[in-house]
Amino acid sequence: MAEVGPAPARRLGLRDVPIWLCGTLLALLWGAPFLWMVSTSLKPAAQVMTPVIEWFPREITFENYAKVFRYPVLTWALNSVIQAVVATGLCVLFGAMAGYALARLPFPGRRALFALFLAVLMIPSEIAVVPLLLAFIKAGLASTYAALILPQIGNVLAVYIFRQYYLTFPKELEEAALVDGAGRFKIFFTIALPLARAPLIATTVILFTLNWNNFLWPLLVTFDESMKTMPVGMAAFAPVVGTHTQLEGYAVAMAAVTILCIPSITLFLLTQRHFIRGIALGGVKG
Amino acid sequence: MTPGDSFSTRSDGTGSVGAADHGAIRHDSVVVCQVRPIGPIDSRFGRGRAAVTEGRRDRGRQAMDTKWRWSRRSLARAMGAAAAAPFLFHGRAPHAQRTIEIVHWSWLAASDGEIWQQSIDAFNEAHKGKGVQIKMELVPEEQFVTKVLAAVVTGRAPDFGWGTAGLRAKLVKDGVIVPLDDVAKKVGLDLADFDPFALQQARYPKYGNVLAMVPMDLMSLQPLVNLAHLKEAGLDPTKFPEDGAGLLELAKATTKKEGGKVVRSGILMTGSGVHPTVTWGIVAAQMGFERASSDLKRAAVNPKAGIAAMEWVLDLFDKHQVATRDVTDRYKAFGTGQGTVFWTGPWTLNGYTQQKLDFAAFLFPKIGQKRVTYFEMGGLELYKQADAGRYEATMAAVKWLSDNSFLWTTVGRGASPRKSILARPDYKTAGHDWKVRGAFIEGMSFATEGEIPVQAGPDFTIYSGGNFLAKTLEQVWAGKSKPEEAMARIGEHWQKALDAG
Amino acid sequence: MRAAGSGWQAEDGGRRDWTGWLFVAFFTLPFLLFNLAPLLFGVVLAFTEWGIIGDPVWVGTANFEQALADPWVANAFWNTFLYACTIVPGVVVLGLAFALFVHQRWPLSTLARTLFFTPNVVSATVIGLVWVWLLDTQFGLVNRYLAFLGIGPIPWLTSGDWSLIGVSIASIWWDLGLAFVLFLAALQDEPQELHEAAAIDGAGRIRRFLHVTLPHLRPTISMVVTLQIIASMRIFSQVYVMTNGAPHGSSQSVIHYIYQTAIVQYRLGYASAVSVLLFLAILVVTLLQRLLLRERAGG
Repeated sequence: MAEVGPAPARRLGLRDVPIWLCGTLLALLWGAPFLWMVSTSLKPAAQVMTPVIEWFPREITFENYAKVFRYPVLTWALNSVIQAVVATGLCVLFGAMAGYALARLPFPGRRALFALFLAVLMIPSEIAVVPLLLAFIKAGLASTYAALILPQIGNVLAVYIFRQYYLTFPKELEEAALVDGAGRFKIFFTIALPLARAPLIATTVILFTLNWNNFLWPLLVTFDESMKTMPVGMAAFAPVVGTHTQLEGYAVAMAAVTILCIPSITLFLLTQRHFIRGIALGGVKG
Repeated sequence: MTPGDSFSTRSDGTGSVGAADHGAIRHDSVVVCQVRPIGPIDSRFGRGRAAVTEGRRDRGRQAMDTKWRWSRRSLARAMGAAAAAPFLFHGRAPHAQRTIEIVHWSWLAASDGEIWQQSIDAFNEAHKGKGVQIKMELVPEEQFVTKVLAAVVTGRAPDFGWGTAGLRAKLVKDGVIVPLDDVAKKVGLDLADFDPFALQQARYPKYGNVLAMVPMDLMSLQPLVNLAHLKEAGLDPTKFPEDGAGLLELAKATTKKEGGKVVRSGILMTGSGVHPTVTWGIVAAQMGFERASSDLKRAAVNPKAGIAAMEWVLDLFDKHQVATRDVTDRYKAFGTGQGTVFWTGPWTLNGYTQQKLDFAAFLFPKIGQKRVTYFEMGGLELYKQADAGRYEATMAAVKWLSDNSFLWTTVGRGASPRKSILARPDYKTAGHDWKVRGAFIEGMSFATEGEIPVQAGPDFTIYSGGNFLAKTLEQVWAGKSKPEEAMARIGEHWQKALDAG
Repeated sequence: MRAAGSGWQAEDGGRRDWTGWLFVAFFTLPFLLFNLAPLLFGVVLAFTEWGIIGDPVWVGTANFEQALADPWVANAFWNTFLYACTIVPGVVVLGLAFALFVHQRWPLSTLARTLFFTPNVVSATVIGLVWVWLLDTQFGLVNRYLAFLGIGPIPWLTSGDWSLIGVSIASIWWDLGLAFVLFLAALQDEPQELHEAAAIDGAGRIRRFLHVTLPHLRPTISMVVTLQIIASMRIFSQVYVMTNGAPHGSSQSVIHYIYQTAIVQYRLGYASAVSVLLFLAILVVTLLQRLLLRERAGG
């Protein structure tokens, strides 16, 4: 499997310099919108639309952030955390178990089950969103944590990644434990799972990000402020669909999204290698 | 109503039989919630128990049902249930010992929203320590009705919210909105103080003629004009056009073009959405078109007038070239001087005044045979609760807001429906300058183009960017459909709606 | 029973089977309930009209007939097709280019890798609002810099001609990260010997790229294309946040149309019918892809 980590820098030939310059500038350009976002968020509202482009604020103010916090941002954040943590935790655990079973335990119907998983993996979840919404409303569970969490548990990506991993897992450890008379569950929880650190971390990180960023489903199923997740809540600052269409300005909107992207970017920067390795794990072989 | 350039809520008009839904709502002719009100938490718990049987929280359920057996397994299960419980229920906190928290959903998204927030804050300030507070939540207007419905079905409806008179027929029919006659009397709301026309607008004759909302403000659409543009074009900033010809003359004088394209509109228009739709609606009504006959039996009376009105709007873009399709955010556009004349409702006054725009309002010109403009009434409506005991407290709060709506109807928006407030000597002088506010109040006399109070009312409203009417007209504005075709389709659809009742 | 590749010899077949099912049950149950069942329920729902309050009313194929005749549905599908046509090439070409660049491991390549991938981890609201501001017609950075090149202000999000492109630009910025990483992984998987052999034979960089790297990347490219096409057909959140489909539906995607029908008009049966249509469209596209690939591989 490809190791997609940082490697020692290669020597830069003279012919390569213009390309290197172009590429690096392009990379900086690619990240520039974030800089602009933060910069705008720190400007007083009157200085946002200026005749001359100002990359750095003339004066820094935090009033926009204060305005954002007039909304129940912490409630949204809490909801996001709860639903992402629980959904990811359950999905990773169950996905690992299922992946292990699909790779290691010969039970009848195994091929068919995996084929089913694969088939549904290709179907975008958005297609099931309307019937799911109706079901949750009728069941009286609309706008609850249950509604936010339950549909995220059955994410086949986890099963896929763990199955890939366990297919190449060394069998000797398990064989030894079996000979000693250990039950399958014990083997899984004491040997197979703890040793699967790479896919565990990678899947957790990727799924957490996906669950955190989930948009359509929380938008549909939550109907009061106290249950909204952060991405949906922050959409209140959008110009067309927001809730203050005449008065709210760009500076406040930028402050809102700065706050919103801090958790995701922080998590990513801390776990970059695992993130990228996880994607490669799922992608390269597949 | 909605100043946001977004899609209003629509009913589907195909009228699914509004039978009682399983759950908290029983449907009677007397629309009072029949569910035994043990208390909000208990009714929620009941639903939670039903929910718990679904899916994999079996362990939790067993723990809740069986007696406490202090074996390790059941303790573990119980802990699992306890951990799972908060994830299953989520609702309002139980009534604290002293304070009732009344939940209010508002979709006011223009500058009036700010004033409304102040009104709610004033209530909370006045009732601090008195055991009742209002918690206001903002909901995007286009989602409002659906979310209310979902909340009602889930047993967690908001206590009261903003409504627009004439558009809630289906909710009244389905029992989602609480009739207010009795509870208004109970809390002492003086209905005699209201303008009878306003009260009449708040009722739905076809569905029991009950009072469906407490009217809060009467609004009409009147043109605002950017005085700086007038002065620039050498026109008199105190004289305003009275008819269509005068309006076009003014528009042509103030329009700015660059290379054949309009860069500053004489008449601010958008290529789609609410604005051209309501313009068409007003002009068509002025030219003699009737969306529905007064007996609500025939739709699209005098279609020729409707077609002529469509052509009037198209001419603004193509023939006279005083408007451009390439505007989407009309509030922002007028605020930043991209148009000279812009008809809108009084809900925008607060914002433009705050940004110190040099503008005035005048009475909508007579473009057709009669002078008519769009009428809208906003009010507060109560939604069905699992606990009927809440209605009185909510109604009391609504009464307070109505009694104290001086700020709302001078700075926020609209003319007050309450005679006592209109009669106040400072009514004309408080709030925004009469220069910008006067037309909205004086213009009420010819603001007669309102809502069609049938179940499919939302399909008839001219103040919408997303209903059937708006979508069909959009094809006309985009040049993809001829006015005659569109008129035929509209007429057909509306007739079906009227026939369905 | 022994499936290929498991390597396990069943010692007592019955017990082994039961354990396996227990293992998968934890995942399969929620999967069936909340991921598979809704799909089936949706198909049934498409034949009814079921309001939030009230009971379902069977309408047969009325929803489908209406959907197929509705110009707004056609508009949404056409826009979705256009989205795929704009975003997929953008993501694939740029993703590959950036991956090749980072793969050289020149100085600052780790920084570049981070910068290229970061947009992928933030949520749609961030993307949408940042780009609404960047694409603002009067004061957005994009138009400001274009002005230096003498290009007049483009009404990115406020005109019917440009709104789809505006949303596409934001989408490319967002989606590129995934393709980029997949390409990077594939590049690093590339066996070096062929490269060295070609270099010894005197092949220049470009020829080496075309004849060695590209063939190796073919499966990855096709996977990225497939993933991105499907991702483009699902596009919703950035449309909602940036334009909500305006002006006059010129940026509206199918999922956005479904959302509006469901949430604004609460016509859940009709929305379900359109969802089914979308599913069929995706199925067709996926099958077409497989067919083309098989031909390619065989030919």
